[in-house]
Amino acid sequence: MAPSAPQPVLLTATDLWKSFQMGDQKVQVLRGVNLRVLRGQWLAILGASGSGKSTLLHLLGGLDTPSAGTIRFDSQELAALRGGRLDRYRNRHIGFVFQFYHLLPELNVLENVLISTMIGRPAWGWPAARSEARRQATALLDRLGLSHRLHHKPAKLSGGERQRVAIARALINQPDVLLADEPTGNLDEGTGQQILEVIRDFHRSGQTVVMVTHDRAIASAADARLTLHAGQLESSLEDSSAKPQDASNR
Amino acid sequence: MYKLLLILRYLRRKLAPMFAVLAVTLCTAMLIIVISVMGGFLQMMRDAAQKLTGEVMVGADLSGFPYYQELIDELQRLPQVHAATALVRSYGLVNLNNRVLTVEVHGVDAAGLDAVTGYGGTLHWTSRDLLELLEAQLPPAEELTPGEKERVEARRRFYEQLDLRRLGMTFTPPPEWSDRPDTPGIVLGIEVSPWSVRDSQGQYSALNSSLGMQVTMTVLPLTRRGTFLEPAVRRMAVVNEFKSGLYDIDAHRVYVSFELLQKMLRMDAAEQVDPETGKPTGKVDPARATEVLVRGVPGVPLEELRRQVSSVTQQFAGDHLDCPPLWVQTWLERHAMLLGAVEREKLLLTFLFAIISVVAVVMIAVIFYMIVLEKTRDIGVLRALGASRFGIESIFLGYGLAIGVIGAGLGVGIAAVVVSHINEIQDFLTEHYHFTMWDPKIYYFDRIPTRFSPMEVSVIAAAAVLSGLLGSLLPAYLAGRLNPVEALRYE
Repeated sequence: MAPSAPQPVLLTATDLWKSFQMGDQKVQVLRGVNLRVLRGQWLAILGASGSGKSTLLHLLGGLDTPSAGTIRFDSQELAALRGGRLDRYRNRHIGFVFQFYHLLPELNVLENVLISTMIGRPAWGWPAARSEARRQATALLDRLGLSHRLHHKPAKLSGGERQRVAIARALINQPDVLLADEPTGNLDEGTGQQILEVIRDFHRSGQTVVMVTHDRAIASAADARLTLHAGQLESSLEDSSAKPQDASNR
Repeated sequence: MYKLLLILRYLRRKLAPMFAVLAVTLCTAMLIIVISVMGGFLQMMRDAAQKLTGEVMVGADLSGFPYYQELIDELQRLPQVHAATALVRSYGLVNLNNRVLTVEVHGVDAAGLDAVTGYGGTLHWTSRDLLELLEAQLPPAEELTPGEKERVEARRRFYEQLDLRRLGMTFTPPPEWSDRPDTPGIVLGIEVSPWSVRDSQGQYSALNSSLGMQVTMTVLPLTRRGTFLEPAVRRMAVVNEFKSGLYDIDAHRVYVSFELLQKMLRMDAAEQVDPETGKPTGKVDPARATEVLVRGVPGVPLEELRRQVSSVTQQFAGDHLDCPPLWVQTWLERHAMLLGAVEREKLLLTFLFAIISVVAVVMIAVIFYMIVLEKTRDIGVLRALGASRFGIESIFLGYGLAIGVIGAGLGVGIAAVVVSHINEIQDFLTEHYHFTMWDPKIYYFDRIPTRFSPMEVSVIAAAAVLSGLLGSLLPAYLAGRLNPVEALRYE
């Protein structure tokens, strides 16, 4: 098999530090993290609870700001994005999947997926885009095996179904990166494997995925694995930017 | 678009916002009902006050002014004036069945007063009232002796022929009600008589009326210079009673004929007498009146009428330098104290209820703060999906606005139903629970007056909408300021 062309770097974290103030104590969560995520890569970040995995994911997704260090998306430094531009970054380029799904209980499955698209468009532009957005959402939910659940509220769904809706919501805007925070952490093993299959399916279609987990078995599904320990990534920067086809060998 | 979707879903789903809607609804309805009833009360008093005095008055002090007929003629030439009439006003004592009462006596030309104020319409009793009373008091026909039947029949015929309105207009009692042929008639305010009582429906009974009673009226004449003369006393028969709608007027005013009062007060035309010799001088003191009441042509603004009347009055005073100073007043100025008091009461009540309504704003703020707490994680999710701070704030502001609009709409609706059926509601409460909010025995109206002013209702509704917005302001701000990471971790 001929070696494939090197993939462009999508996300770069350089010397990333993050601390939190807990009362009068300062808790250092990340201590100089360096990371590169290639386009099309599935990267798993392993770490015990409290190791800072979610914090790293929030920083990469523009939900939080580092105490020190820089994050670049393509060539754009996130720290330079302010207000609306950072919101647009999260809406267009990032898709979040959470351990506890975090679906909005008042909305049905279709609306939970469509809300990402709605957020990205002004109210006056929505009527024109509505039917196309619905078509895409329906197709996505169909691909995830949820076409019979479109008008059901999250409370009526199983854990696996909820997580699939959350994945659909994260992917509806065709983001550059899917950031998955313990996506199987709240599911039984069988259902967890189904969710991994879903992620694998999208990854095969070219979706870049950064997944944090504490479970080595789950992490083994990824192309590349890094371990976050005591606020530092144990693998080197070069390791973390391994080509997707090399990841399975690690 | 997601904001509208979430606002609609939050409205449909949550019980807490319904309490906020209820608070806005009740406060809106409460304010509108209070302001409508007080406005109705004020309007009723204004109507009554305007009816009593015409629109503009020209007057002097109690010693009166001469050449009033000239003034009336001049005023009636104005295209803005519909009618004008002279009035003699004084104070006196009325002895009614040995009860001596102080009254304000008005000597009026009934037809002229009717043209200016609608006086005829205020006369309360008709012959039907007396006939109904007679029928109610009669024992069964079989128990009556032939003589009694004849007397009853005679009484019935007398009542049937009695035109009490005409009697009230002419101040002429029927012979049966006067012990002397020249006994003049007097019309009492319906509350003047101490025996006049209202039943639970606010109605008067002819049984307690003063109709046909003999009264003695005493007035104190004044010279042109204001010197007191010997009191004038006259026995009269009550020919009707009037109800203007203003308690103070109905409890203290009596009407007699203009000429009679003018004569009693020695304000009629009289030959001058030399005070030293006591002989007539050959000069005539002209007759005097204390006021001229003016009614404008419909559609003429009050201030315009007043300006025209003032102009004619100034001209008149310039032509008659022996005339005492004359004042010109509108009916609003004449009753300013009375109407002003009610207006202030209305304002005060509105203010008090508006203060109470602040509770609605606080309640919305508390409820919204609870919703923000409850929705903290959802806020984090929305921020993760790309919603801006302003977007999150807009959801809660829009939510508050929606609650304000729904609450105001329901409040206006409930108030409209209550205000338009307030008397039926009172009747229902009285009938089933013996609870009377506005006891006609105490309040001077038998039906609760209401006035649904679109302008006032619009202002209250707008304030209600604003209260929803205000109540949601702080919680919305706090929601927008939530740190998305902390919001996502919120338990």
